[in-house]
Amino acid sequence: MVVEGLFYTQEHEWVKIEGPVGVVGITDYAQDSLGEITFVELPAAGQVVKAKDEIAVVESSKAASDVYAPVGGKVVAVNSLLQLQPELINHSCYEDGWICRMEITDSRATGNLMDAKQYEEYVKGLS
Amino acid sequence: MSENVQSGKFVFEQGQVPPGQTVLYHEHLKLTDKSHMAVFAGYLMPLWYSSISAEHRAVRQAAGAFDCTHMGVFETAGPDAAAFLNIVTTNEINNLKAGRAQYSYILDAEGNVLDDIIVYRRSEDKFMVVVNAANEGKIKAYFQGLLNNEVVIDTSRPGMKLKCRPVIRDVKEPAAGADRRVDIAVQGPVSMEALFAAGTDAASKKSIEQLGRFELTDAVVGGIDCIVARTGYTGAEMGFELFVHPGKAVRLWRTILERGKPAGVLPCGLGARDSLRIEAGLPLYGHELASEYNISPIEAGYGWAVKLEKKFFIGKAAMVQAAESCIMKQARIEMPGAAGVRPIRQNDAVLNKEGECVGWVLSCAKADDRQMAIAYVGKDKIKVADTVGIYYLARNERQIRQGRRKIVGRGQKLAADITGKVLSRFERF
Repeated sequence: MVVEGLFYTQEHEWVKIEGPVGVVGITDYAQDSLGEITFVELPAAGQVVKAKDEIAVVESSKAASDVYAPVGGKVVAVNSLLQLQPELINHSCYEDGWICRMEITDSRATGNLMDAKQYEEYVKGLS
Repeated sequence: MSENVQSGKFVFEQGQVPPGQTVLYHEHLKLTDKSHMAVFAGYLMPLWYSSISAEHRAVRQAAGAFDCTHMGVFETAGPDAAAFLNIVTTNEINNLKAGRAQYSYILDAEGNVLDDIIVYRRSEDKFMVVVNAANEGKIKAYFQGLLNNEVVIDTSRPGMKLKCRPVIRDVKEPAAGADRRVDIAVQGPVSMEALFAAGTDAASKKSIEQLGRFELTDAVVGGIDCIVARTGYTGAEMGFELFVHPGKAVRLWRTILERGKPAGVLPCGLGARDSLRIEAGLPLYGHELASEYNISPIEAGYGWAVKLEKKFFIGKAAMVQAAESCIMKQARIEMPGAAGVRPIRQNDAVLNKEGECVGWVLSCAKADDRQMAIAYVGKDKIKVADTVGIYYLARNERQIRQGRRKIVGRGQKLAADITGKVLSRFERF
């Protein structure tokens, strides 16, 4: 499942642009391949990262997967609920399972990312 | 001389081949999404159908069906078959009566574990040897090298030749005709009822009912001729492996799932297969055996399957040595595993109460709210019911930069990230 209006990376992160802020999470394809997610290591609020820096780790019983920042910026909020309910990513990866909110430093940051249609094609090519 | 033998020493390198499909491949695609399939031992296999926990639970409370048709199945027959197997495997074939099965090992002359196997004695001079899918090609080449007298079987007597000439057939292959066999496992407390629900005539029903653990019989299940064995890899007290002609495997699989559904039979993937065997304490070749730690069957807790009192078997000298110098053992441990607890992983450090690293995690899995692991630890360092800790090795570069270690050696002192306890070495369900 892919959601219109979001931007996507090849590593299966998504970012939703809300003015100066980007909400970041992992895609349905990513959560589905990981299986039951049991642990999320969140970034620290205030952390400044470049695009493609590691910002989180999502772990299931079978794999630990790094999450990379889809855009550069400053982490302004994290979804602390994931510490107790990491399975929110399985159940609602585009809504309740968001990972963090970032203040985006580069306004053209989404230029290198895929839109929903491009990402859907990309995923189709993987299986 | 075969390419797998270099001056008498058996060497085997798995070639790169595109992933194969088991005979049940298209059945899997009907039951699960293709994204839940992964390459295992050269075959595209389902990791899970519903979820690992649901499938794990089904096997403990009802039953689960497993596609094991990727596993290697060899027939060793003829007047020399028993003598051959007694030289090539570590357990005592003369203790194995017709209609019974035996867990055993195949070693090379230097004592390296080539595979752990189950030998099924179908009659006085007919055996079925079931090997790990990942080792099938290697074992086939090894048997060939032995029959061709190309492999040194005793390092202290390089001239010693194997005289027995059994007839060895790969019974997964079309050449075996009507004798072809592949493995479908049905495991869990209601597994016998599931076989009966699939349809058994009175005679088959009776012979299945009379099977003890590690016994086998010919029987008709769902109208299909099978070799039915009470063996398995889940630790379930009640569980079967059905050896069926590959041409009839789809029909048997469907029948067991359809007719077993009311009793709670679920198809189970590799994920549950792994978590069940870890919970039971059973070894997986490449993790608890051989592996980067070069683990012997004796360290794995299976000294009873290596009969040092036998006059000879390939690898015996090394096993005598391993038994004398053994300083490591395996332990089953339990850790918290509720949502939000970081999962433990292979090679994470195992710490005693004092925080001293006593060994490492070989395999781990989660079942409900707990994590279980099989660890490789110093023989006298921890015992059942002891408190043990786990130190998580660095999972990525960022954690290394933050000071987390990537490798921990025995004897190092560290603070535990989570603590749990040592369980009995094995558990039956």
